[in-house]
Amino acid sequence: MMKKVVAAVLLFLLLFFTPHAKATRYSPPGKPTLTRCRSPEKETFTCWWEPGSDGGLPTTYALYYRKENSDAVYECPDYHTAGENSCFFNKNDTSIWVNYNITVVATNTLGSTFSDPVDIDVVYIVKPNPPEKVTVAVMEDKDWPFLRVSWESPHKADTRSGWITLIYELRIKLEGEDEWEMHLAGQQKTFNIFSLRSGGTYHVQVRCKPDHGFWSEWSSTSYIKFPDYFHREKSMWILITVFSAFIFLILIWLLHMNTHSLKHCILPPVPGPKIKGFDKQLLKNGKSEEVFSALVVSDFPPTTSSNYEDLLVEYLEVYVPEEQELMLEENKDLHDSFLKSEVSTSDNDSGRGSCDSHTLLIDKCGEAKEEERQTDQEESPTETETQRHQKDWDEDPLTYAHEDMVSPDMSSGRVKTWPSVFSPLPQYSLSPLDQTRSLVMAKQHCLSDILFPPGSSSSYLTQPSTKEALGPSYRDFCLSNKPPHSLPVPQMQARKQLQSHSDVNISSIGRKQAPVGQQSSALQPTEYVEVQRVNEEDMVLLQPVMSDHGCVEGCPQTHQGENYSKVKGVTSDNMLLLQREVIEEEMDRFPCEDLETSGAERCYTSSIITTTQKPTGCNHTATPVLGEMALAASGYVDTATMSALPTY
Amino acid sequence: MHMMTVKQRGVWAVLLWPCLLTMSVPLDCKEEQGSLSRCLSISQEKLLDRVIQHAELIYRVSEESCTLFEEMFIPFPLRLQRNQASYTCITKALPLPSSKSEIQQISDKWLLHSVLMLVQSWIEPLVYLQTTLDRYDDAPDLLLNKTKWVSDKLISLEQGVVVLIKKMLDEGALTTTYSEQGLFQYDVQPEMLESVMRDYTLLTCFKKDAHKMETFLKLLKCRQTDKYNCA
Repeated sequence: MMKKVVAAVLLFLLLFFTPHAKATRYSPPGKPTLTRCRSPEKETFTCWWEPGSDGGLPTTYALYYRKENSDAVYECPDYHTAGENSCFFNKNDTSIWVNYNITVVATNTLGSTFSDPVDIDVVYIVKPNPPEKVTVAVMEDKDWPFLRVSWESPHKADTRSGWITLIYELRIKLEGEDEWEMHLAGQQKTFNIFSLRSGGTYHVQVRCKPDHGFWSEWSSTSYIKFPDYFHREKSMWILITVFSAFIFLILIWLLHMNTHSLKHCILPPVPGPKIKGFDKQLLKNGKSEEVFSALVVSDFPPTTSSNYEDLLVEYLEVYVPEEQELMLEENKDLHDSFLKSEVSTSDNDSGRGSCDSHTLLIDKCGEAKEEERQTDQEESPTETETQRHQKDWDEDPLTYAHEDMVSPDMSSGRVKTWPSVFSPLPQYSLSPLDQTRSLVMAKQHCLSDILFPPGSSSSYLTQPSTKEALGPSYRDFCLSNKPPHSLPVPQMQARKQLQSHSDVNISSIGRKQAPVGQQSSALQPTEYVEVQRVNEEDMVLLQPVMSDHGCVEGCPQTHQGENYSKVKGVTSDNMLLLQREVIEEEMDRFPCEDLETSGAERCYTSSIITTTQKPTGCNHTATPVLGEMALAASGYVDTATMSALPTY
Repeated sequence: MHMMTVKQRGVWAVLLWPCLLTMSVPLDCKEEQGSLSRCLSISQEKLLDRVIQHAELIYRVSEESCTLFEEMFIPFPLRLQRNQASYTCITKALPLPSSKSEIQQISDKWLLHSVLMLVQSWIEPLVYLQTTLDRYDDAPDLLLNKTKWVSDKLISLEQGVVVLIKKMLDEGALTTTYSEQGLFQYDVQPEMLESVMRDYTLLTCFKKDAHKMETFLKLLKCRQTDKYNCA
């Protein structure tokens, strides 16, 4: 009876449970696995496991461990402290340097399953907590601030006693970037970071590791904003910028200074028309007929006389050797500037030094001069430019030749020529010539000097004065002596060689002027020197013709006194304004030679003021004297009246 | 990173070992028994520091040697787990504290003696290891140098500890007691694999024991300075 009841109950129970068993498949638990064991301070440790399937049944887990050297199996003392599925070993249960053999068992009603055993040694599973109290501070160090990071070891790790030795590592990155910069700090608890960007915000983290374990987690991020500071690199850049700006300015300045030459290099000047008779203005006006008609020269084809004019080139630099005496003759052509230098040969060597020497052309010029003399004489004082230029040039070829001869000798640049002192002093005439070797062809008009007509009272010496003051105005001076004519009269003057030297700093621009015609004429003491046209402000020195007759020998001294050879200017009516000058000594030519500076008194011819010239011999003489005189005497003097002033 | 640091320090230590040898000379004041003060040795604190440095270096170099050996000669399956200490070590029989709490309970004297025991028990095996490693065909020179260095350093460490014992404990020398206990058995030449495994075990065990030495000495140092807060 009882048995039946029991069986019935059992059956009932079985029936009751069977559907459950069928509905959910029950199975023994799955195999758990020990995932990890960690010790934060080498004194305690925790193991975690991962449960397997529970098989549908409540499963319990148990951890068993066994220490090395013993076979006793112990169960985990604490399942709860460390959370779910964990086992916590406290200090009393933790042994160091000892192998633990740990196993987890999952148990449910249907069975139990063992996990794989794991051997651990606590020493090797140490993973400390992150460092604590991480502080980041900016340390000011003049212009180079840096960061100082400091921290403390995790409070659980006993580093003080040396139980555990930790090494630290920190990392830093700029806000917004992805790359961290790692720094190993060793066992120290502070660290300095340099070379950071000013004004940036940085993130700093620290972690630690025992010498035989795992790295801890990174500490929480510390933020620090780096201050703005004036980096020295910036100052270097500023310095570089200033320096380059400075150099740039210097280059600009150099460029500016050399603009002219650069312009010539890059944009050479267009040469202007050099057609004789060509008028630019007419062309600009647009009237071509007039322009071309102007080109028609009346004397084309050139006659013999005009030949020489055609041969005239605007600029001619003539260097008059000291031995030569050049005579300047008139320049016919107004437009052409030429310098006629008449070389007067003086046979008389008295008073002549090395300065004075004959030129070859003296003879040649002599002939031409003879003709000219008389006509020139009359005309000369009043001659205007045109008249002057119309002087004829029988001697032209000679003069030209002379000029040509002379010109090569001329040094480039300005040449100072001055009209030789003609009349009374042969020497006088010579010296300047000697001195002045260079003739400069005046660009514009040259004064041609003509031999003094014998007896002509006036001799004019055209001398430019103060050219320098006036600037390089070109003047032609032509002094011509006409010895043949004047011979009778100026015999007292031995050969006076008219030396025409143009004071004018006539710089030849490479254009050669056919020599206007130099007539070398024997200087006669009293000879008129025809004054060629002078530019304004040109000074023409006129030497009054001495009453020569008796002046053969004393004439030289007559030079003392006033000299009207200086022309103050030319008026529009082609009137010469003469100036008086006092020339002291004419005798000495020698001093002229050496003189480069003043002392000029000695040389008559040096009445010319040479300014920019290289002193060519005795070119400059008497300048101071003359100057004074020139200044003193002013006014318009009619050449005609000059003759009436024999006493001068 | 850690390996690099350890290697660097090991190399550094290798380079400096003559200095350490010279430094260790004045420590030998054994012969003058009653006249410790006559020894021109360093102070106790400095000596302890030096000993600790020795121990640290030894540990690092032994760790590097172990890694080298493992990489060269041990196949993967047989390698120790990262968490695992080693196989049965020769020094397991030594009565050494094995937890911090235990260490806190033992005295300075016993701590020092423990260190000495360890050091003395490892001198011979390391010499043996040196000879066996020479027999390897392709043992890298670095490994050989490191093991050689370690064995030399161990001897000087022993000397230092002896002097420390004398100074700190005012004891006589009890130097050669432990090493003669025959912890190490010289067996017939085993097979290759066994030989390799034995060497591997040697190295790993030594590494662990070196760490023990270092830890003991550091704790000892802490006790010297601050008795109440130390372990």
